[in-house]
Amino acid sequence: MSLILMENIVKTYLSAGVETPVLKGIDLRIEEGEYASVIGPSGAGKSTLMTIMGCLGSPTSGKYILDGEEVETLNDAQLSRARNEKIGFVFQAFHLLPGVKAIDNVMMPLLYCHKVPADARERARESLEKVGLAHRLHHSPGQLSGGEQQRVTIARALVNDPRIILADEPTGNLDSKNGAEVMRILDQLNREGRTIVIITHDPKVAQHGRRTISLMDGRILEDRRHESVTQFEGSPSRAGSA
Amino acid sequence: MRALRNLKEALRGLALHKSKTLLMTLGVVIGIASLTVIVAIGEGAKAKVLARISDMGFGPEAFSVAAGAGRLFFARTKTPTTLTLADVDDIRAMPTVQAAVPHQRQSMRMVYKRNNTFTRVYGVTPEWQSARLWKLSDGSFFTDEDMKRKAKVAVLGATPAGKLFGDEDPVGKMVRIGKVYFRVAGVLEKKGVTESGFDPDDRVIVPLSTSISRLFRQTWLFSIRIHTLDPSMVQETMEGVRQLLRKNHNLSVFAEDDFRFITPEGIMEWVTAEERALNRMLVLISAVSLLVGGIVIMNIMLVSIRERIREIGIRRCFGARRSDITQQFLFESIFVSILGGIAGCALGVTISFVLKNLHVLAAKPTWESFVVAFAFSAAVGLVFGIQPARKAASLSPEETIR
Repeated sequence: MSLILMENIVKTYLSAGVETPVLKGIDLRIEEGEYASVIGPSGAGKSTLMTIMGCLGSPTSGKYILDGEEVETLNDAQLSRARNEKIGFVFQAFHLLPGVKAIDNVMMPLLYCHKVPADARERARESLEKVGLAHRLHHSPGQLSGGEQQRVTIARALVNDPRIILADEPTGNLDSKNGAEVMRILDQLNREGRTIVIITHDPKVAQHGRRTISLMDGRILEDRRHESVTQFEGSPSRAGSA
Repeated sequence: MRALRNLKEALRGLALHKSKTLLMTLGVVIGIASLTVIVAIGEGAKAKVLARISDMGFGPEAFSVAAGAGRLFFARTKTPTTLTLADVDDIRAMPTVQAAVPHQRQSMRMVYKRNNTFTRVYGVTPEWQSARLWKLSDGSFFTDEDMKRKAKVAVLGATPAGKLFGDEDPVGKMVRIGKVYFRVAGVLEKKGVTESGFDPDDRVIVPLSTSISRLFRQTWLFSIRIHTLDPSMVQETMEGVRQLLRKNHNLSVFAEDDFRFITPEGIMEWVTAEERALNRMLVLISAVSLLVGGIVIMNIMLVSIRERIREIGIRRCFGARRSDITQQFLFESIFVSILGGIAGCALGVTISFVLKNLHVLAAKPTWESFVVAFAFSAAVGLVFGIQPARKAASLSPEETIR
């Protein structure tokens, strides 16, 4: 059984009476343990695809089955639970709660669990240790560098042991060194068997995956499997000095 | 359990936005403080009236009958001359009556050496003192013998004693009341000006027989104070007195009473009716200020939700339900207004004590006002928090995260 199964997903935004089609029929299947990148220019529908994949918004039409559950039949509480248990988000702009300590930020998804684990704090600490931030537990986002903040978001995405990690331009706001560190962590997580989907416009980031899905104008242009390039080469300055 | 977690998150949110929390609290503080003060003033006024009634020497077993139709202290007609000593004798003969003390009263000028003052002169029988339970600070009260002899003796209240004699000892000295000279027999203990400005010490007491034949030169009485054997007999005694006086005064069936009753209940009722009207207005004012406090909370919450759209979106992404968001924001507004309620109570009690100690108003804080304030503030938080909280929860995570 596929982890993600999408059949003819259509999404049309309606604003001021004007219909704007964004996704025009997406068929997609992602299996357990895959490392896939969705790539495309801006306006191709990448972000909309991610919101649907992450159960944040519903498609206009089409069928989406996540881990065996038909998403459009779920009510708010069930959708919230699905987001909580099955998906870990990593955002370009980090989206950490401002003024809240790293460990509390990481613990936040556990607070909304069906049953709050007794060792929530311990699990949050382990998760932060895993991304190399054991020494930053009690720092708030404002006291952390961009790279560190993004690692906190990865720790937060991991803390509830989700089926899939959805990363939206995870290196978008980072310099090449920090970007490389973040990609290294994602590569490592996939090697441990975690399913990862990266949304990006950067082909070099996409190359870390073993599958690249090219999106253009609301349709899938190309779906290609390839070898993973685990060496991150991001910024021009790095390339020039090499 | 979910509610507890959301409460924790709400407290964290309030701690994070301290200045906003303070502002929201302030609105409720003002409303609750004024409510507390108003309730305290109401209680204080009631206590004041009760003190005044007990100061009049009215036990629950006593009442007064005064000459002239009307209500309580206010005669509607010119005081008639129909209430007499014969009525007193008839009332004393009633089986339920323990004592009946007749009063005459006029305001007159008093002179001692070069000092003079204008005061209320009472003509009463010697039993007045035991009925009023009013001790003397100096000298003695006049006796039955003085009554019989129509003796020209007077007992001064503390105010005229002070005005006329200063540091001099008044007992045994001669004072002139109107055109008649009296020997001072004693001085009444000082009671002090009441909070409504009435001075009970501004009086002079002389024997009734003397006032009838030598001073006022009138036989009719101003009022009769009647003490029954037991408080339960007051009603039937009052009815008996009414029948008796109507018969003695030859009133026809159609004529109205030419006398009126003064009872502690009657005074209480009158004063509380006056104060209830005032209180109702004050409560309305504080209700308006509470309403304003609630609207402040609602506005700040709505603005704060705009600023915290991102936070709401993040929480929704990681599994917060709509109800979790609703609860979190509702808890914030309820907590803020309860906090404001507690602070407002404290402020209100402080103001009440200051008012009392400065003798501006007799404010008496009661624990009931705490309960009322607490319930009101929680209700304000709930009512004015619902709309912002629902708005926060209704935002779709898809839009909030962008």
